[in-house]
Amino acid sequence: MKIQGIQSFILLLVICSGVVLTGCKSEGNNPGREYAPQMYHSVPYESLSQIKDEAAGTWLSNREDEKGEFYNSNPNNPHKMNMREPVEGTVARTSNGYLPYRIHKDSLAWAAKYLKNPLPNNEAILADGKSLYLKFCSACHGEKGKADGKVSEVFMGVAAYDKGQVKTATEGHIYHVITHGKGLMGSHASQLNIEERWKIVRYVQTLQK
Amino acid sequence: MDSTYRHMGMHNMVKHLSKVTALLSVFLFVSLVTKGQDTSATAEVIVEQPAEGPAEDPNGISADPAIIASGKTIFENNCYQCHRVHKQWTGPALKDVYDRQSIPWLISFIKNSQKVIQSGDEYAVNLYNEYSKTVMPNHTFLKDADIMSILAYIKAESANVPVEDTTTTTSGDGNQVAQTQDSPYLTVIFGFLIVVLVLMVIVLGITITLLTKYLKGKQDLDEADKELVEQKLDIQGIFKSTTFMAFVIFIVVALGAKTAIDSLFLVGVQQGYAPSQPIAFSHKIHAGQYEIDCNYCHTGVTKSKNANIPSANICMNCHTSVKTESSEIKKIYAALDYNPETKEYGSKQKPIEWVRVHNLPDLAYFNHSQHVKVAGIECQTCHGPIEEMDVVRQHSKLTMGWCINCHRETEVNTKGNAYYDKLMEVHQKHSKEPMKVEDIGGLECSKCHY
Repeated sequence: MKIQGIQSFILLLVICSGVVLTGCKSEGNNPGREYAPQMYHSVPYESLSQIKDEAAGTWLSNREDEKGEFYNSNPNNPHKMNMREPVEGTVARTSNGYLPYRIHKDSLAWAAKYLKNPLPNNEAILADGKSLYLKFCSACHGEKGKADGKVSEVFMGVAAYDKGQVKTATEGHIYHVITHGKGLMGSHASQLNIEERWKIVRYVQTLQK
Repeated sequence: MDSTYRHMGMHNMVKHLSKVTALLSVFLFVSLVTKGQDTSATAEVIVEQPAEGPAEDPNGISADPAIIASGKTIFENNCYQCHRVHKQWTGPALKDVYDRQSIPWLISFIKNSQKVIQSGDEYAVNLYNEYSKTVMPNHTFLKDADIMSILAYIKAESANVPVEDTTTTTSGDGNQVAQTQDSPYLTVIFGFLIVVLVLMVIVLGITITLLTKYLKGKQDLDEADKELVEQKLDIQGIFKSTTFMAFVIFIVVALGAKTAIDSLFLVGVQQGYAPSQPIAFSHKIHAGQYEIDCNYCHTGVTKSKNANIPSANICMNCHTSVKTESSEIKKIYAALDYNPETKEYGSKQKPIEWVRVHNLPDLAYFNHSQHVKVAGIECQTCHGPIEEMDVVRQHSKLTMGWCINCHRETEVNTKGNAYYDKLMEVHQKHSKEPMKVEDIGGLECSKCHY
């Protein structure tokens, strides 16, 4: 069997293309080759994927500002970020009409005395509260509120709900502490909205017993 | 005995011996492998509690078991959150606390620590500064007698060697420690067995060679015996034959073609992409070891299109007090312009530039809340075992085929969701199959591309 010139060329091409194309695979820090890059990259400012390199994608760019095709940063924002915080004092519009909670961090005693839960005490609210509690609280406070969550092994000073002063804490107290934090606990207001916090309060009250 | 019969017997013997040798080698290998996994009996630690002798106390701290018991309850209810007897916790370890300061001082500090600190008491001020100005709450509701019973409990506990502490710290990996400790006898026995087995393999090998030689010496061999004795390979001939050459070329080209085709399918697929991040955050530690729910940090996952990268204030919920000395945590402090000494935030804050791992092409729309909140899909279904990853890696292909396949196979989670009532009604009119995502338009182009 003799292999002719063209045949051997084709064979060689197949083998080489196999070797070359493996380089398109993504691994570690290399995201790999893209199939249709112009359709992959966002033209509008994309809040969670920012590309600061002005030369990124120059090879296929037809932008008027002569920057790279993939460049995606807002030069008008601080740090050229695409994300922006809302203007200070912005009030989020909610379907249930909650107004922002403006009681100061230091007014725990006032909140404990006068704040009342706007949500009814029923099964549905408790179920929601439990589901939120297991996501946002149990890592430290434990599934049953006994301060035995895994994080409490390294995060010291976690309160158990059925012990000491916490056992008799009012709903206003619990709400204020979730919102502003207390002692070593930080504020959870950025993670939980007002309604979610009140739902958790309902559930935490069942764990105080 | 008939000679042919004897030769047949010899022939079988060689065969059998070869089999036995092979079996022994396998056993040898298996025993070597299993040895590594073998576990010995777990060691039990028995620590005796030191006997406690009733002694007169100069401070008037009681040794009455009833008072100690009530002190224990009060301690666990009001102090345990921040104090341990033998270990430094949020506050100092309380062992022998009554030897450090007088009883009246302790009572006034426990009731209102800030008052003592503000009075300028040197010890109290130093303590306050040493514990980075963490305020101990007031305990005015405790009676003097309550505090005395707490002290009685602390005194009783102080005498105890911290057995509890050693067990709690080792409980996590206690089993592993026991597993790695093999008893010396086992090692000796295994070593001996291995030597014996190796010797047997050698002896059998020699026997086979000898028997084959003996058979060769015999003149009156039948066909089967001859075959056994004259086993030889014409290696050069095989390598030079055209069949062999064609076979080799075929294999190489086929492999090349397969790699090429496979690689073509991977263009634009970022599966396996695991970029290193500006801060070496480990999901294995946070989500795995400490079981923090994904939603705790990725707050958008039930509410929006994006799961969101947590803002640094969420890190600071724990890292104001956890691992404050770590160089990686200091990067968060730097980004927030946070001073761990004064616990204050400055104005020179700058964003942490995380590298996005999952780059879904802009041509496709995906919504997290629809999948997590409405469908109730676990994060791991698409993201893989995130809780085992130190560096996050893109687990799924995120190709269109991958999406479509799931939409074909997955039933719609209609339970307790009135939105689907009418759709379910219509679906059941013409089908007895469960309602899949594709049945309610899950394969429509414009669902994801618009």
